[in-house]
Amino acid sequence: MAWKRYFIAFFITVAIFGTAFYIAARIDDQRVADIRAAEDSVSVDILSSETQYELLNNLDCKTISANPILSSELNSLASRLSVAEDNLGATNAEVIQLKERYSLLEIKDYLLMEQVSKKCDLKPVYILYFYSNTGNCPDCAHEGDVLTYLRQQYPGLRVYSFDYNLNLSALRTLISLQNLQGQLPALIINSREPIYGFKSLDQMQTLIPELKTLLATSTATTSTKGF
Amino acid sequence: MDIGALGVYMCLFIALYFEVFLLISFLEKRPTPKSVTLPKHFPTVSMLVPCWNEEKTIGRTIESLLALDYPKDKLEIMVIDDGSKDGTRAIAERYAAEHPQVKYFHKENGGKYTALNFGIEHSTSELLGCLDADSFVAQDGLMEMIKRFESDPEIMAITPAMKVFKPHTVLELMQSVEYTFGIFYKKMFDNLSAVNVLPGPFSMYKRAAFEKIGIFRHAHNTEDMEIAFRMHAHGLKIVNAHTAFVYTTAPKTFRALVKQRTRWSQGFLQNSFDYRYMYFNPRFGHFGMLVLPFGLIAFFAGIYAASYTLFHFLYSLVNRGLDLYATRIPPHVPQIRPEWFYLDTSMMTFLIVFTLCMTLVAILIGGQIAQTRLTLKSYASYILLFGLVAPFWLVRALWGAVRAKESAWR
Repeated sequence: MAWKRYFIAFFITVAIFGTAFYIAARIDDQRVADIRAAEDSVSVDILSSETQYELLNNLDCKTISANPILSSELNSLASRLSVAEDNLGATNAEVIQLKERYSLLEIKDYLLMEQVSKKCDLKPVYILYFYSNTGNCPDCAHEGDVLTYLRQQYPGLRVYSFDYNLNLSALRTLISLQNLQGQLPALIINSREPIYGFKSLDQMQTLIPELKTLLATSTATTSTKGF
Repeated sequence: MDIGALGVYMCLFIALYFEVFLLISFLEKRPTPKSVTLPKHFPTVSMLVPCWNEEKTIGRTIESLLALDYPKDKLEIMVIDDGSKDGTRAIAERYAAEHPQVKYFHKENGGKYTALNFGIEHSTSELLGCLDADSFVAQDGLMEMIKRFESDPEIMAITPAMKVFKPHTVLELMQSVEYTFGIFYKKMFDNLSAVNVLPGPFSMYKRAAFEKIGIFRHAHNTEDMEIAFRMHAHGLKIVNAHTAFVYTTAPKTFRALVKQRTRWSQGFLQNSFDYRYMYFNPRFGHFGMLVLPFGLIAFFAGIYAASYTLFHFLYSLVNRGLDLYATRIPPHVPQIRPEWFYLDTSMMTFLIVFTLCMTLVAILIGGQIAQTRLTLKSYASYILLFGLVAPFWLVRALWGAVRAKESAWR
């Protein structure tokens, strides 16, 4: 018996497995780098908007409202993060760090939006959505689907989604300011009282009458799972 | 990683290991091209053509044998009618009357192997060839076989390179690619001295082989497989003549294909059980250590992979339905993003791609060995269809083997 061939074939097969693992890992690294670059880009966008806002100091609402603060990159980031979380796992340190940065950007964008809206008398429709994907919120996935669908139907709708369990001081402060009780999923629609528990599409449409003011579209713009 | 996915990784590892093994074997000993030399001797040959209701193809089969490049006084064609009820007899008798080489025999129906045994017992030739009555030999096919016999006196039986006869339908095209893949791995099995079956279309035997191990036995309707197992058990050498082409009629309908493959697969399981002592037994070389175990593992891996895929498909379908019901979201086509970021680049995807690529390489080599040109449509039929249809006969074969029920011939 020529056993050598059996061993050579085994080592080559192991090498092919190793190569596949390496390529997949490198592509995941590339994904993380891509998300990081997108976050940097969004961060610059927000900083630019903030600076622009401070420079103009409420003098030119027209200019400000012509530049939507919640950039499309922020939406796109959400779906990318969702892919990264699926591939690398929700407990992956890099994913958590990316989510923390993303949450910070969302909070900054949310604050800026509130300020601009007040001073320029804009009436944005927005939802602060708090979820958990650690297994203690079975309805969060469904709620994420509803919000994704709503955002596809109403591109003007702003959805800020936050992982409730992130250990981020800014997020903890936001949670305490909104008086959240810990029950998930939790929704805050246009600064109203928090709503707890799963709400279907029909219920959401009833809860957000302002949706009628937004232009509905059949064009999908973004999809998110938890973000 | 869930246990289901771990099972798929194991299947992929085994499939890749086998393909790598065969490719190493190919690189070590490449098949030689067809030579123009003639054999030194022309032994007497009896071509046995067992038939049962083959009026549509028997004429062409006999014609292909009459057209063989071989001295007429050394070749007899024995048509053994296994109790046909159609016009087979009239056609075969007409050929027998017109050509002294053709001899017609009629016997009570008893199954293909009994017809072959009848032929073996009623012939005196040194070499015996079998040819299913739906297959046609290339003009130089017999000459190539004789040259191969001459190359090594130890050789007791030879298998040909089988091709699908004039493939037209999608199922036939799929099978033409599968047969080309078969040409590759049968040649590699030859390199490893581990040819596992002596198929009905144009396998040839030395009479001495039957004298040593006996004639065909009733063996789960796969007597051509059993005799190969028995020859290995007795240490008799089987090789492959990759330059001896035979064209066989492939099943045209899904039903006929499943029936044929169920018979083959179930026969493999049942013969494997009968010869289980050969498994992982180094005494039987690569046949016992690689070909038999891999065949069995591939059988169950096929069922496993198909079940896993089907389960996931149904699971996500039901889940999506339940999600839509729970969320009250109207049914809609999920968004497809044409960006690299959203492509499935998991390790499993790459391994599946590697395995597919290696299969394609094997098919290309098979095509080169047998000088077969496959169309893009054939490749597409194979890639898209084979994985969908194969599980049907695998499951049916397993069910039949568990119930120890005889599989049907037709």
